[in-house]
Amino acid sequence: MIKRITLFSLAICMILNFGGTIQAADTIKIGFNAPLTGFAAADGKSSSEGAKLAVKQINAAGGVLGKQLELIIYDDQAKPANSIPIANKLIGKDKVALGISGSYSGPTRSAAGVFQEAGIPYISAYAIHPDITKAGNMVYRTGLLGTVQGKAGAKLVGEMMGKKKVVIITLQNDFGKSLAAGFKEIASKYGIEVIAEYQYSMKDRQFGSIIAKVKADKPDAIYASGYYFNCGPLVNQLRAAGVDTPVIGQEGYDGQKFIEIAGTAAEGVLITTTLDRDSKEKETVDFIKAFEEQAGYPADMVAASAHTAVKVAAAAMQKAGSTDPEKIRQAIAQTSLKASTGLIKFNKLGEVMKPVQVQIVKAGRWHHYAVIDDSELLVPPEE
Amino acid sequence: MLYVELLTQGLIYGCMYAIIAVGLTLVYGLLRILHVAHAGLFTLGAYLGLIVTNATGSLLLALPVSAICVGFVGMAIYRFCYQPILHKPPYVALIASIGLFIAMEEIFRLIFGPYGLTYTNAPLQSLVNILGMSLRMVDIVIVFGSVAMLGVLSWLAQRTRLGIAWRATVDDPQMAESFGVSVQKVRYLNFFIGSALAAVAGIFVSLLSNFAEPTMGGVPSYKALAIIVLGGLGNVTGTLIASVILGVVEAFGTIYVGDYLDRDAIAFACLILVLMIKPQGLFSRK
Repeated sequence: MIKRITLFSLAICMILNFGGTIQAADTIKIGFNAPLTGFAAADGKSSSEGAKLAVKQINAAGGVLGKQLELIIYDDQAKPANSIPIANKLIGKDKVALGISGSYSGPTRSAAGVFQEAGIPYISAYAIHPDITKAGNMVYRTGLLGTVQGKAGAKLVGEMMGKKKVVIITLQNDFGKSLAAGFKEIASKYGIEVIAEYQYSMKDRQFGSIIAKVKADKPDAIYASGYYFNCGPLVNQLRAAGVDTPVIGQEGYDGQKFIEIAGTAAEGVLITTTLDRDSKEKETVDFIKAFEEQAGYPADMVAASAHTAVKVAAAAMQKAGSTDPEKIRQAIAQTSLKASTGLIKFNKLGEVMKPVQVQIVKAGRWHHYAVIDDSELLVPPEE
Repeated sequence: MLYVELLTQGLIYGCMYAIIAVGLTLVYGLLRILHVAHAGLFTLGAYLGLIVTNATGSLLLALPVSAICVGFVGMAIYRFCYQPILHKPPYVALIASIGLFIAMEEIFRLIFGPYGLTYTNAPLQSLVNILGMSLRMVDIVIVFGSVAMLGVLSWLAQRTRLGIAWRATVDDPQMAESFGVSVQKVRYLNFFIGSALAAVAGIFVSLLSNFAEPTMGGVPSYKALAIIVLGGLGNVTGTLIASVILGVVEAFGTIYVGDYLDRDAIAFACLILVLMIKPQGLFSRK
């Protein structure tokens, strides 16, 4: 009797379980890791909002392969130690068709290895460290590579602005170091002399001593890497100390918060990034409008990048005609898609090839300044 | 000139550290608890100060409001978190404190948002020229404000009945109690003053960077520990001197050894060095 009950309940369990699988198969799952808590929570919020917007738009237009997309978001706190179990969970438990990183370089690098090993495609939305795509052929990047952006910065400073004596202020992490490496690699080509380089850590908000030294160095321009929470205070304190040298930053500044923190000191600050606020392209204009409606604050680079990554993933699955990982991978490799951050195409290594947007702060808003579209300069490495 | 500027910056950092660390050392002196959640109160102080300033436009109002509110929160932390576990080994309180600090950071994020807040019209940003240096009013207020506050604190401790009772309790709680001092009251007062100072420090720091964020207590949480160890645990004068030393070492260190050691590493290298030579801290009485 007991045996029969056990068998019966087992059967019920199997049926229920099977039923569950059938239901789950109605959607195509996309895994997403982002820092929803911790110091990088702001970027995690923007990137997940951007991704959610893309999923909403795709589902409203009929989904992919006749199915709805389902975004599964986990919090990695921007810590590499968290992203590995998350990647395993997304692959093993949630059975995602594809993963997207809406996180920083450290966690993205760790997760990329796990996805590569499992043979599931993985797209880095805006993490910029060179090693991410080197994890293997399953890993792609829709954001600009750090070194590429550093080179664009050097062209902006040396050629377009004609400033030759430069001080570099570098954030001591993957992000800051790869930017500085790209900048220095090509600086001499544009006649730039790097007269000093100072480093600071992620937690620094007070830059008094570096500024005192920069004042003594008397540079023509300052190339400073970092995020809005570092560089907002930095620019504010630079101007307060009477340093009016032009400041050139990059996508870490991108967002309204930088301008809020730096206040009037932000005026005239230039950055290299991937989102052009004054763009006439339909995809970008629509994205900027829809994002502000959904999130309640202006779009930033992080949101646009995550939005782009989801669109690339969806287009690839549609083109592949299946959720077979290898077919999706092949479709991603052949991507040619107009998205909110421009025309997306990948090279052999999985690096995106697209122009760099230069934005400037004018009257408390980011605006178009120039586009760097030097395909020779911006070519990402192929291996 | 560069050295004078670096020294000035070091002094500003030092004063900032001093008002954060004094509260911590007061708690340690009295209860032998490493009160990590003190840094959470620092963040709370910054947020309250910023919100009141933005709402009323008056920093002069924001300072006392934030200090008093945070002082009461400090007392509540003592009452509900530390008091029930005072008889347990010290590491129990330490773990509770760390847990509380992490919880506070996430609560701030939930309440005030992940992006952090800024002053709509940041006060004390006008520029002052001293000895050819361009300083902000806030830099000067930090230095003189902290000296004044610590002066008042030392006067309280030396010249008032309250202060005498407090010092007696630190030296020997049982003896003080038998002389009619209410140990409980002294502890509450201790948490109130320490937390209020942390709140003021939080406001100063948020003024320096025009930014209050949920994780801004991260650096003070461990750096203040380094400072009170340097200063000889529980020793107020030692803590003040250690704060200024650390501030100046950091100001010069970021420029001259910044390529090898980051700012926090400099602080801890300093700590290791001192502990190797003088394990009881720079100014320990024992």
